[in-house]
Amino acid sequence: MMVTLNITLQGVSADYALALDGEVSDREIKSIALEVVRSGEVPGLHIRDLAENAFDNYVVDRFDTEEGGRRIYLRPKVPFGATPCRVSETP
Amino acid sequence: MRIVFCGLGALGSAAALLCRNLGAELALVDFDRVESKNVLAQGFVKQAIGRNKAEALKLQLANFYGIKAEAFGVRLTEANVDALCGPADLVVDCFDNRASREVVSAFARRAGKPLVHAAIAGDGSFGLVRWDERFTPDAEDREGQATCEGGEHLPFIGLVAATLARAVQDHVQRGEKRDAMVTLQAVTATGR
Repeated sequence: MMVTLNITLQGVSADYALALDGEVSDREIKSIALEVVRSGEVPGLHIRDLAENAFDNYVVDRFDTEEGGRRIYLRPKVPFGATPCRVSETP
Repeated sequence: MRIVFCGLGALGSAAALLCRNLGAELALVDFDRVESKNVLAQGFVKQAIGRNKAEALKLQLANFYGIKAEAFGVRLTEANVDALCGPADLVVDCFDNRASREVVSAFARRAGKPLVHAAIAGDGSFGLVRWDERFTPDAEDREGQATCEGGEHLPFIGLVAATLARAVQDHVQRGEKRDAMVTLQAVTATGR
């Protein structure tokens, strides 16, 4: 299954075409993103020495497109808040 | 059409001001008061310091633009959300915490009301405008994570608020529900 993985990092957002054999976990998505950003495979988003934990606090959104495809967004959290709360870890 | 703005911090205050010419009834909900630091990053003027935010914005809309709005200077809770948002044709969520977002989201799903959310990352590099059907509130990275109170991210706040206002306008005028991602690079439509 071909999906589009959109990665937003340091204020820049770019798409990467990804072939997946079924569903993958958030952790796997983050691992894939780390590798493709480091290797320069994502247009406009090449950081060779990207830190191992760069996507630790990121969120993975999954949406089906109207055309029958799948888009996955790996993005920063958008809490915008100062209310104390517990942080839950994504799988 | 009646639009209820929930939360009048940086995003909410700016977006409400940008929606002033839609010809809709505007209702403003926020329990908080304008502080001097808010003037740096929110849509309030110096003379509003000390006033309740909903009342202050109502006054600004009336005095600067001749626009009438209703102000509800209360904290939105499960106990009053139906009263505050029940008459709405559109609810706009600009709260700054997950708990409040969940209250308004639960109401919108129960009542079948259109609800659009806006949110910003703590470092001011990324923002989301997303309709409730596709939105899940994020938790903070850590307790007491700083918001944009210092004004450092004011230009980016403006960008996200304008994107939100445009989403509101598209819904008011054409019934559309457009999502968008806002980065330092671009505003990107992501779905509807």
